[in-house]
Amino acid sequence: MTYKADPQRWDGCLSLGFAHHNNTTHCILYQVQAPLKVQRPFYPEGTAVCHSVILHTAGGMVGGDRLNINLQLKAQAQALVTTAAAGKVYCSKGTVAEQTIAVQVAAGAYLEWLPQETIVFNGAMYQQELRVELETGAMWMGWDITRFGRTARGEKFLAGIWRSHTEVWQQGQPLWIDRQFLKGGTAMLDSPHGLAGQPVVGTLVWIGPVAPELIAKARALWTATNRQGEAGVTTLPQGLLCRYRGPASREVRNWFIEVWNLLRLSCLERSACPPRVWQ
Amino acid sequence: MLVDSLALLRLLQLASPALPVGAYSYSEGLETLADTGKVHDSNSLQHWVVQELQYGAVRLEAAVMLRTYDAASTQDYPTLQKWNNWLSAAKETAELRQQSWQMGGSLLRLLQEIQPLQVLDCPSPCNFAIAFGLAAASWQVDREATLLGYLHSWATNLITAGIKLIPLGQTAGQQLLLDLHGNLTEAASEITLLQDEELTSCGWGLALASMAHETQYTRLFRS
Repeated sequence: MTYKADPQRWDGCLSLGFAHHNNTTHCILYQVQAPLKVQRPFYPEGTAVCHSVILHTAGGMVGGDRLNINLQLKAQAQALVTTAAAGKVYCSKGTVAEQTIAVQVAAGAYLEWLPQETIVFNGAMYQQELRVELETGAMWMGWDITRFGRTARGEKFLAGIWRSHTEVWQQGQPLWIDRQFLKGGTAMLDSPHGLAGQPVVGTLVWIGPVAPELIAKARALWTATNRQGEAGVTTLPQGLLCRYRGPASREVRNWFIEVWNLLRLSCLERSACPPRVWQ
Repeated sequence: MLVDSLALLRLLQLASPALPVGAYSYSEGLETLADTGKVHDSNSLQHWVVQELQYGAVRLEAAVMLRTYDAASTQDYPTLQKWNNWLSAAKETAELRQQSWQMGGSLLRLLQEIQPLQVLDCPSPCNFAIAFGLAAASWQVDREATLLGYLHSWATNLITAGIKLIPLGQTAGQQLLLDLHGNLTEAASEITLLQDEELTSCGWGLALASMAHETQYTRLFRS
C-alpha cells in the first residue's frame, strides 16, 4: 500500500501487458498497487483473446484519490479488460478524484476496454483521462457508461463536476478527441442541450475498419426494440461512434453489447463474449 | 478595440451571412430539434443558442479559431495544422465534420481568388474555424473583434435556420439576435481566457440531434 500525504487518499496503479505467441495472448506484465487488483487472466473464448477483470477493493473513489491504469498490447495480441463492479465516485469535500488510463496497442493488436458503469454521486468531483495510442493496423474499442446521481434513491447530480476526456491517436495524428464536462445543477441536467433530465449517458467508440452498412446496422439494432432513451450512431474518419442518453444503464449496455457483437462478427469473424461478472 | 475602419470592413465581409461558403445550408442539428419539437419557438431557440454558447462545441471551435489566428499571425503553420487535425478529431458527427470541411475549403478557395493569402501550406481538408482565423489574421483584423465576429456569424446562421424551421418571423429573429448580444460578449470574454486543458464542452444534445439528422427522412438542411 502506498499512501499520499493524506492517509485517507488512495494512489492506485495497475499495469497490464499482453503479448501474442503461438495463437495465444499471454499476460506478460502484471503490476498492481492498492486499491486496484486484477483477477487472474482467463480465456473464456479460446487462447487468442485474454480476458482481465479489474477490482477496486476500496469500493469507490473519494476526492483526492488517484488511479492510474496502463494497458499495453504487443503486436497481434487481443485482450478484453473490464471491471468487476460498477465504479463509484463519492461526494467530495472539494478535491477532485482522478482516473488516468493510458493504452498502447501495437500493430495488428486489438483491445476492448469495456468497464462497467460509473456512478457519480451528487457532489462528486471527478476527472477521467483516457489516452489511446494505436500503431498502424491496431484496433480499439472502448465504452463508457456514466450514471449521474444514485437515481434509485431519487438523488440528482445537483452539485459537483464531471470531466471525461478521451483521445485516440495514431502516429501523432488524433483520430478521436472527446472532451466532455458536466457541472452539477439543473442548468445542464434538465436542458435538451445537456442531459434532458436523463441520468445516464453512454459512449461507444470503435477504431478500425467500418464497412458502410455497419452504421445502418448499428442504428437498426437500437430501433429493433422499444427503447426509453435516445441514441445515435455516426461514422468517424476511421471508425464508428455511438452515443446514448436515457434512464437506464442496462438499456445502454444491452445495446452496446449488440453493437460490439456486430463489430466483432464483421471485423473479427467472432461473436461477442460478455464476461460473467456483468451478470 | 477595432483598430481601424479598414479592418472593420474586412471583418464585416468575413462575418457576413452573404459570404458564399454555404453556411445557410446547415442547421447544426436544429432541423431535428425543430422536427421533434424540442425547439419550437423563439424562447426555446434562444435557450439552445445560449446553452451552446455557455457549454457547447462552439466554444471549442471559437477557441481553436483564436489559436489559428495567433499561429497564422506568427507564420507558425505546424501549430495551425495541429489545431486543424485536433478540430477534425473533436467533431461530434460525420455531418458536422463535413459541414466544417466544406465551409472551410470554400472560404480558403474564395480568399485565394479575391486576395491570395500568403500561406504556402493550407491544411486540407480545412475546418471552417481554421480558415476563418487564417483569413482574419491575414486581413489584420483585431483579435477580440475577430472572436466576436465569428460567434456573431455562427449565431446569425442558427437563427436564420430557426426562422425557416420553426418558423419564426424576421422581426422575432432580429429581436433574438439583439437579445443575444450580452451572451455573445460574455462567451467571448470567457473563450479568450481558456487554456488548452480547459477546452471542454457538453455535447450530448448536439451529438444526438446531429446523429438523428443524418437519418432524418425529410431535410432542408445538410446538417
